[in-house]
Amino acid sequence: MSLSEATASPLLRQPLLSDEDTARSRDRSRVHHARYNNRRWRLLWLLVGPGILAMLGENDGPSMIAYASDGAQYGLGFFVPVIPILFAMAYVVQEMCMRVGAVTHRGYGELVLQRHGRVWGWFGAGDLCLTNLVTLIAEFVAIRVGLAYFHLGPGVAVALGLVLVLFTLSGGRYWRWERTVLGLALFNGLFLVAAILVKPHVGSIVSSFSFTPLPGGSLNTLLLLMASTIGATVTPWMIFFQQSASADKGMTPKDVRHGRYDTALGAVLAGVFGVGALIAGAALLNHGLGIQGFAGAGFPAALSHVAGGAVGTVFALGLIEAGAVAILTISASTAYAAGECVGVSHSFNTSPRNAAVFYAANVGVSLLAGLVILIPGAPLLSIALNANVLATVLLPVSLVFVLMLANDRPLMGRWANRRSTNVVGIAVIVFVSICGAAYGIDSFLQSVHIIGS
Amino acid sequence: MSAEPYEHDRATQLQDVPIPYDPDADEELIMHLERDQLVAETFRPVPRAELGRRAAIGLWALRIFVVLVSAMVIYTFMAGLH
Repeated sequence: MSLSEATASPLLRQPLLSDEDTARSRDRSRVHHARYNNRRWRLLWLLVGPGILAMLGENDGPSMIAYASDGAQYGLGFFVPVIPILFAMAYVVQEMCMRVGAVTHRGYGELVLQRHGRVWGWFGAGDLCLTNLVTLIAEFVAIRVGLAYFHLGPGVAVALGLVLVLFTLSGGRYWRWERTVLGLALFNGLFLVAAILVKPHVGSIVSSFSFTPLPGGSLNTLLLLMASTIGATVTPWMIFFQQSASADKGMTPKDVRHGRYDTALGAVLAGVFGVGALIAGAALLNHGLGIQGFAGAGFPAALSHVAGGAVGTVFALGLIEAGAVAILTISASTAYAAGECVGVSHSFNTSPRNAAVFYAANVGVSLLAGLVILIPGAPLLSIALNANVLATVLLPVSLVFVLMLANDRPLMGRWANRRSTNVVGIAVIVFVSICGAAYGIDSFLQSVHIIGS
Repeated sequence: MSAEPYEHDRATQLQDVPIPYDPDADEELIMHLERDQLVAETFRPVPRAELGRRAAIGLWALRIFVVLVSAMVIYTFMAGLH
């Protein structure tokens, strides 16, 4: 007799506890024991996860290449202080997602669908699936760039990504999935190692906090740089992922404080590692080397040439890690969105047999993205560059609904946003919307040749 | 040592093998979840939000924004592919 059958109510003939409940309650029992026994560090260890994964997952392959390119083209000035500010903005958004997930125990997709109708629900999910697919292609390309440094081909990149997805899904438990990906995500610190290895001048890092020198070029260039850097910091998949993962982890309103620590820690780590990539990339400043970027092993090879083989190797390994972690978190966010919108089981705590849509979406979107990079002559560069356009332009919609859900008093009760959070949240949305819309409009006007690039 | 009972308890709870049916154990497990955390509860849909006039206008503005910008993005994306 299975546990579900054993605990069926004889009156309602309905299981009180599903297997998903049982798995989650085991995780929660450890949290209860840690809290009851006042074991603070253990409690923190048990409750961290979704925030760090969302933030370090967003330090993905294309983002780290974007940061390093900023450093290589413009040096440390301006972008070193901008990256921490952007991650502070990301914290504001992600904290709201965590709080809504912990209080309602529901994912972003299902709440938007149920509270604001099918049009917005399906639009959000469709937008997410499209941008996730394009972003996943860019992640496989980033792994390919890293592996190309070690003379390994795209087939290895696809195999590595898919094996990781299948391996992390094999446990049938959220806890195992989270800890495996968390362990892998900490290797994002390789970018900090790369920054240390290039022996940067400390004085120039400190002086860069004066936001000078401003990047040269036209207003369009600055706008595009800002928008692409924002696109590398806050994205729709993070919103879906952290809210759904917080609910899947079993977080409750009692855990909101630790959820904030988790999110803040993730933001700090992601900011530090992002600045690390920028500093490493700045080693290429004034060397006049053409950066091939996505086309081959350009960036690690250029770093190896200028700063030594160790830096190139560490950077290449970092790119492989960044791409791999992002594949895991982004495919998970797609799976959550698919399960929530279809209205079927969507949890790592459920077996593949009972959550076929969830697991199929998780593996399917990764498989599809992997297959694209194996197509000979596929326009990978165009796809990778447009991934940020799509994500940034459609981000305001996701942000508006996060703010609405976090302010939904019938839903959130006393955990609804305070006025100060709303002021900061609205400022973030307005800033991102202006940059995102300007970026989209600018790209469109360039593509129809109304303005020059 | 105070940690021992806890460690023993934890080791028992961490086992992934199927748990033999024990009504008391089920009772203890369910106590670690809030009622609205149960899968059966989370599958119960929440009612549609009642929006004020300003919020409704804001969402219509958002719809228009989405349609316009999406058209631009799709065009840019297709142009980029070519």
